[in-house]
Amino acid sequence: MTLRILVVEDDREIRSLMQSSLTVEGFEVQTAVSVSEAKAMLHIAPPDVLLLDLGLPDGDGIDLVHEVRKQHSLPVLVVSARHQEAQKIQLLDAGADDYLTKPFSVAELLARIRVSLRHRGTALDAAIKVHELDDLRVDLTLHQVQRDGETLHLTPTEFKMLARLVRSAGRVVTHRQLLSDVWGSEFTEHTHYLRLYMAQLRAKIERDPAEPRHLLTETGVGYRLATV
Amino acid sequence: MNDVAVTAFRRQPLWRWFVVALLLIGATACGYLVDHHVSLTSQAMVYVLAVVIASYTLSWKESIVCAVGAVTAFNFFFVPPRLTFQVDSQEHLIALFTMLLVALVISHLAAGMRRETESARLNAQRAGQLQKLATELASATTPDEIAVLGRAALKSEFDGQCLLALGLGGDGLTNGGELPPAMSDAMQCCMKEAAVLGPGTGRWPGLDAWYLPLGTKGQMSGAVCVAPALAGDTAGREHAQALCSLLGQALWRARLTSSMLTAQHEAQRQQVQSTFLAAISHDLRTPLAAVIGAASSLQTQHDKLSRVEQDRLLSSIVSEATYLSNVTDNTLQLVRLTSSIQVLKQDWESMEEIVGAVLARVRQRDPSRRIKSKVPEKLPLIKADPVLLAQLIGNLLDNALQYSSDAIELGVSASDHELQVCIKDRGPGIPQEQVQTLFEPFSHNDHSGQRGAGLGLAVCHAIAVAHGGSLTFRRRTGGGSTFALTLPLNKQQPQREQT
Repeated sequence: MTLRILVVEDDREIRSLMQSSLTVEGFEVQTAVSVSEAKAMLHIAPPDVLLLDLGLPDGDGIDLVHEVRKQHSLPVLVVSARHQEAQKIQLLDAGADDYLTKPFSVAELLARIRVSLRHRGTALDAAIKVHELDDLRVDLTLHQVQRDGETLHLTPTEFKMLARLVRSAGRVVTHRQLLSDVWGSEFTEHTHYLRLYMAQLRAKIERDPAEPRHLLTETGVGYRLATV
Repeated sequence: MNDVAVTAFRRQPLWRWFVVALLLIGATACGYLVDHHVSLTSQAMVYVLAVVIASYTLSWKESIVCAVGAVTAFNFFFVPPRLTFQVDSQEHLIALFTMLLVALVISHLAAGMRRETESARLNAQRAGQLQKLATELASATTPDEIAVLGRAALKSEFDGQCLLALGLGGDGLTNGGELPPAMSDAMQCCMKEAAVLGPGTGRWPGLDAWYLPLGTKGQMSGAVCVAPALAGDTAGREHAQALCSLLGQALWRARLTSSMLTAQHEAQRQQVQSTFLAAISHDLRTPLAAVIGAASSLQTQHDKLSRVEQDRLLSSIVSEATYLSNVTDNTLQLVRLTSSIQVLKQDWESMEEIVGAVLARVRQRDPSRRIKSKVPEKLPLIKADPVLLAQLIGNLLDNALQYSSDAIELGVSASDHELQVCIKDRGPGIPQEQVQTLFEPFSHNDHSGQRGAGLGLAVCHAIAVAHGGSLTFRRRTGGGSTFALTLPLNKQQPQREQT
C-alpha cells in the first residue's frame, strides 16, 4: 500500500521539491498551500503523514494540529525556519510529532518521516518496550538498562526520564513534555531539573557524556533518544 | 494649624509689650535702689538705657511707647514733686523731650541696621541657593530631571504656589492641560515675549503671581509661575529671575545634547547600513554566483560533463548554499541583537549540553576529529539563551576549522563567578592591524580572499554582550588564536527538587 503524505507549504519551489523527492521514494504526495486548504483535505481523505510548514499565510497551524489530534493519530512533522523556536515548541507541545529546521536535506526529511511512521505503526499494537542501539539496551518491561551487557543502576527519576525518551525514541521530546510526564504538570517550568538529571543520566549511559551518542540535545527545544 | 498661627500672630506683640513693661519696671526699680545716692540726671540715664534697649531690639512703635512710658514714669516717680505728673522746672521738660528724641533716633537706626542685616542674610542664602542649583543642574541631563530640581528650588524659596511647565514657545506646554487656563495663558504670553510678567514688572501688574520665562528669545524651554509676588519685592523677583535663567540654560543645554546624540545615532545607523549593504552585496553575491554558475552549467552542459564533474558541481552547490544560509542566519541574528528587538529567552542551561549539541553538528565537517574538547563534569548551570550560545560556539568552531589545519582545543572552565569557554587554534592568526576591529561587523571584508569570518565574529561578540559576558581574542605564542567567551555565573544556583 502506498503511503500518502500531505505537504502544507506555501512556497512553490519547496513544495515542488518535496513533492518530487517524496514521489521518488514511493510516497503518494498531496499538497496544500494554506491551513484552510489543509483542513479541507484532511476532512475528505486523511493522509498517513502530515508535513506542516510554519508561517503559512492564514495562520501558524496550531489549530490545525489541534484538529488533527482530535480525530487522527497520523504523524505530524513541523517544518520551521530557524528563529521560530517558540512557535515550533508550541506545536510540538500541542501534539506535533517532530520538527525539521530549514534548510534541511532530503535525507533528513526521509529519516524523520521513517521514524514517525515507525511509531505510528507500533502505536496500534503496543508501545515500544525495548530500545537497542550500539552498546545500550533498555527494557521497559523488565525495568532494565544495560551498557555492553552490564546492568546499570538508575534512580527512579532517571529511569522515568529515560523511559519517556524510549517511548518516543528517534523523536524530539520537548522540555515541557518531559517535565510534565516525569515530575508532573506543575513542574513544567523547572528546566534545571532536566539539566541536572540529564547530566547524571549521561554520566551513567554515555561513554563520553560531553559528546553524547544516545541522549541528544535539541538545543532550546528538548531531547531526542538516538535511533540511528 | 490655623489656630496656632493666629495665636502666634497675636502673642508676638503682647510679648513685645511685656518686654516694654519689664524694661520700664526695671528702670524704675533701679532708680529707687540708687535714689539717695545719685542725682536725678543719673536716674534719668537709667531710663535712657531702657529706651535704648527697647528701640534697638523692638520696632519703632514699641520704642516710642517705651520712650513716652519712660518719660512719664521718670516724671511720676522721680521728678519733684514726686508721685504727680507736675513738672517743676523747664529743665526737666527738656530732659523729657530729649529722651523721646533719643528713642526715635535709635529706633530708626536700629531698624535700618536690622533691615540691612536681614537683606544681607537673604542675599547670602539666595546666592547659596543659586550656587547649589547650578551644581545640581550640572549633573542633570534630561528636561524632566531639570524640572524636578527647578520645582524644588522654587518651593524652598517662595512660600506660595510655584509651578513649572516645560514646552517650546510655539507649541504649548507639555503639562499645560493640568494648569488653569489663566495661568497657562500667562505662561504662554511670558514665553512669547521672553519677559517677566506680574506685579512690579510693568507687564500684567494685575496678576497675583510672577510669570517668568525659562530661556531667552528663540531658546525657550518653558515657563514658571511664582507666588507670592509683591510689587515692591524687587530682590525676590530678581532672585526668581536668576533661578529661571539657570534653569533655562540647563534646559537648553539638555535639548542641544539630546539633539546632538540623535544626530550621532542617525549618522552611525546610516554608516552601519551602508557597510551592511556593501557587505551583503559581497557576502551574498559571491556564493550566489557560484551556485548559479554550477547549476546553469549542469543545466546546459549536462551531457558534456563527466560524472565526476557533475558531482563536483553538485557538491559545490550544496556547500555554497549552506554557506549562504549561515551568512543569512548570522546577518539576521546580528540585526536582532543590535536593534533592541531581541529579548533573550533565558533559562537554566548546561554548558556541557550546549557544547555537546554544537559538536554533534560541527563533527560533520570534522571527520578526522581535529576538535579536542575538554569539558569538566558538574559545571554550574548558567542563565542563558541556548540557541544563541550554540550559534556563538558553532561560529567560532567553524572559523577555526576553516582557517587552521591542526588540532583545535575547546575547553570549558568555571570559577566562583564566571564560566569560560576557550577555543584555541594554530591557524595563521589575526594580523595586528585587524585585532582592534575584529568584532565589528564587516570590518575586514575580504582582503584575504576569505569571507564571512567578520560577520560571524560580530555576531559572536553581540551574543556574548547580550548575555552580560564578553568575547576576547588573544594571539597564542607559537602562532594561532585563542577566543575566550566569558559569561557571568549566578551566585544562586537552582535547587534540586525536595525529595
